[in-house]
Amino acid sequence: MLSKSQARLFFAVATGGFSFVFLGLTVDTVMQVPERSHSENITEEVIHGKELWESNNCMGCHTLLGEGAYYAPELTKVVDRRGAEWMRIFLRDPQAMFPGQRKMVQYDFTEDEISALIAFFDWNGKIDTNGFPAEHDLAPPAPVVVAATSGADAMATAPAMVATVCMACHAVGGNGGNIGPAFEGVGNRYTEDELDRWLADPASVKPGTAMPNLGLADDVRGDLVEWLMTLD
Amino acid sequence: MKFRTQRISWLFFATCMLLLCLQIVYGFIMGFAHMGYDVLHDYIPFNTARATHTNVLVVWLLCGFMGAAYYIVPEESGRELWSPKLAVVQWASLLLVAVTAVIGFHFNWWEGRKFLEIPRPLDYLVVINVLSFVLNIGMTTFTGKRYTTTGMVLLVGLVSAALLYLPGMIWFDSQVMDSYFRWWVVHLWVEGVWELIMGAIMSYLLIKLTGVDREVIEKWLYIIVGLTFVSGILGTGHHYYWIGAPEYWLIVGGVFSALEPLAFLGMALYGVTMARRGGRKHPNKIAMYWTVGCGIMSFVGAGFLGFAHTLPSVNIYTHGTLVTAMHGHLAFWGAYAMIVLAIISYAMPQMTGRKFFDTWVPEWAFWISNIGMLSMTCAFAVAGVTQVYLERRVGMDFLEVQAAVAVHFTALVLAASLFTLGILLFIYDFIRYGFPSDEAVEGAAEPEAAAAK
Ligand code: HEC
Ligand code: HEC
Ligand code: HEM
Ligand code: HEM
Ligand SMILES: [Fe+2]
Repeated sequence: MLSKSQARLFFAVATGGFSFVFLGLTVDTVMQVPERSHSENITEEVIHGKELWESNNCMGCHTLLGEGAYYAPELTKVVDRRGAEWMRIFLRDPQAMFPGQRKMVQYDFTEDEISALIAFFDWNGKIDTNGFPAEHDLAPPAPVVVAATSGADAMATAPAMVATVCMACHAVGGNGGNIGPAFEGVGNRYTEDELDRWLADPASVKPGTAMPNLGLADDVRGDLVEWLMTLD
Repeated sequence: MKFRTQRISWLFFATCMLLLCLQIVYGFIMGFAHMGYDVLHDYIPFNTARATHTNVLVVWLLCGFMGAAYYIVPEESGRELWSPKLAVVQWASLLLVAVTAVIGFHFNWWEGRKFLEIPRPLDYLVVINVLSFVLNIGMTTFTGKRYTTTGMVLLVGLVSAALLYLPGMIWFDSQVMDSYFRWWVVHLWVEGVWELIMGAIMSYLLIKLTGVDREVIEKWLYIIVGLTFVSGILGTGHHYYWIGAPEYWLIVGGVFSALEPLAFLGMALYGVTMARRGGRKHPNKIAMYWTVGCGIMSFVGAGFLGFAHTLPSVNIYTHGTLVTAMHGHLAFWGAYAMIVLAIISYAMPQMTGRKFFDTWVPEWAFWISNIGMLSMTCAFAVAGVTQVYLERRVGMDFLEVQAAVAVHFTALVLAASLFTLGILLFIYDFIRYGFPSDEAVEGAAEPEAAAAK
């Protein structure tokens, strides 16, 4: 049986040896990471985003690269998933986008700060993560879109914003969210003028509504109204 | 208790009890938030509750380790503590830093990195604090009458824990590097040097409680902590799979972290066999419960549940889900909370001279808290596995999945109430022992001292 001094030797050699190997691998990792993470794209804006990420402890609710807390969505690929436009509107007023849901803190970010956060997420989303997050391997096959439905037609002419922002809450042709009513037939229900006033400031039309003020510019709003009027 | 200054550890142990209560309160706040009752959101948002919950946990465990060291090191080195005054100052300043940090969390002031939320300016105070602790313990050891393996392993563990705090203080522009070096603190603490501390405290307790020969116990201590480092150092790779580090970490991390349970299996067998082998029945049965229980529960929580999600093929789905929280709870409880409660259970009768060995309170505290924690682990496990399945494999929306698992948080809160009852009984017993007394100094001549010489 092992004696005590042999046991001590085992401890010392194991510790020394494996620490040495670990330091070696660390040097190699530090050399490889810039390429794998495109560190040349770490701009001042990205760094500012990281500062905001840390100084508000977003990691205390969210995960990023799978690290953090389990109370709010994983954000590594959030720019791919939501698009910058949606994120900008969301970050101006998080609770408005998910009425009645689990709450995020209302930060009063400036537009520059929001841009910095989006830049930070965008940089993170392009890191080579060895495949995380994984594909949804048990996902039900994507619904077969019947070519003749009005939904498919409607989407062909829709302004880009419909897919990136409105469909988080509204459905078109059976796809999209269910927080607000589906868009089908909306052109029959309202006049152009009503829709324009609604989009400019929903709460002034219907106080207490769960549809947020999306802060849309006049021309964007005009395009949206024009499109909504085609849905009959 | 052989030396008067060992009593200083009482301050640290009492602080443990207070902070544990605070930790539990914030745990409940999070449990309710997950159930859908985030009623305190405007005052204590989830990230504040979480930072408080985990940082208070780390501080009370460190407090427990320090208390253990102030108790064990004088005895192992055969002299009074080098500077009892410094120890009291160190205790007070540690508490001050902790309280400042917790208050800061409520005002959005933090470093904002998981487990390292303590604001950077306070980090420097933590470092000074720990240095003064290490100085005190180190001087006591090196000017003492004897060196023991138990004392040295404890010292090495504490000094390395202090050094490993430093890489966590560096600012990186890259989130990848940030995360890479954050794990030098978090992983190399709990699956590295803290195991040295745990092993040393366990070895001390086994020597005291079982009467098995010191040489035998300390030989196994070396083997177990050797296994810790064989697996644990390169096992850090299980946190490098998906953060942007090179692909070889999938193999290195997978293989070595899969070996990590061996060290914990070692701890479990260590406790059980030494307890069996020891002929002597120490009257402090409850300290024995906690010691052996710690070995076993650390194997279940860290070893078994750690292994369950450590292979890359599993971890790609479970990474950053409630499955991790399941493992985090039982691992921290089994390995570190229980070893601190073990040394407290052993030291209280020694320090106060009061020997209430035959009451039901501590025994019920042991069983109720352990059953409560195991039930909490089950609640997290069901929620976690459901989340992995629905969100990560089927691709359902995050918030929908959270609504689906909210019911398991009702179970969690119920289990946590049971756990809390156990902890309250433990604290009641702690209070009943009262303050350390000078009369306890000679009165407690240990049989081990006689046996050793
Ligand atoms: C108190 C917890 C909490 C904190 C702190 C928090 N969030 Fe959130 N966040 C949420 C929740 C919950 C959601 C899910 C949507 C909702 O219910 O509002 C969310 C959603 C998001 C989303 C949209 C994700 C998606 O896929 O829908 C982004 C982007 C986001 N948060 C960014 C941030 C940033 C940046 C910070 C830090 C400045 C932050 N969050 C801090 C709770 C939090
Ligand atoms: C955060 C969720 C959300 C987003 C994003 C959102 N809406 Fe809405 N919307 C609602 C809700 C909820 C209602 C129902 C309001 C009510 O009745 O109080 C609504 C109602 C409407 C209506 C009236 C529908 C009807 O049939 O009565 C229109 C039109 C509309 N939204 C257009 C849009 C457009 C265009 C966008 C994108 C630019 C958009 N919405 C984005 C939540 C949202
Ligand atoms: C007492 C020892 C241990 C403690 C206290 C502990 C605690 C924790 C905690 C708190 C986390 C979450 C960390 C974070 O995301 O920031 C974690 C993660 C993890 N632990 Fe442990 N652990 C221990 C031992 C082990 C062992 C022995 C293994 C492997 C066999 C293991 C495997 C893992 C893995 C794979 C993760 C990552 C989970 C993820 O991807 O989200 N742990 N551990
Ligand atoms: C008794 C009541 C307790 C309750 C209700 C509770 C609840 C929780 C909750 C809800 C979380 C957050 C998970 C998330 O991010 O969504 C959490 C995190 C955590 N708790 Fe507790 N907890 C309790 C006690 C404890 C105890 C006694 C310990 C340690 C021994 C502990 C250790 C941890 C750790 C390490 C984490 C971080 C886990 C991770 O990041 O993976 N908790 N707890
Ligand atoms: Fe780890």
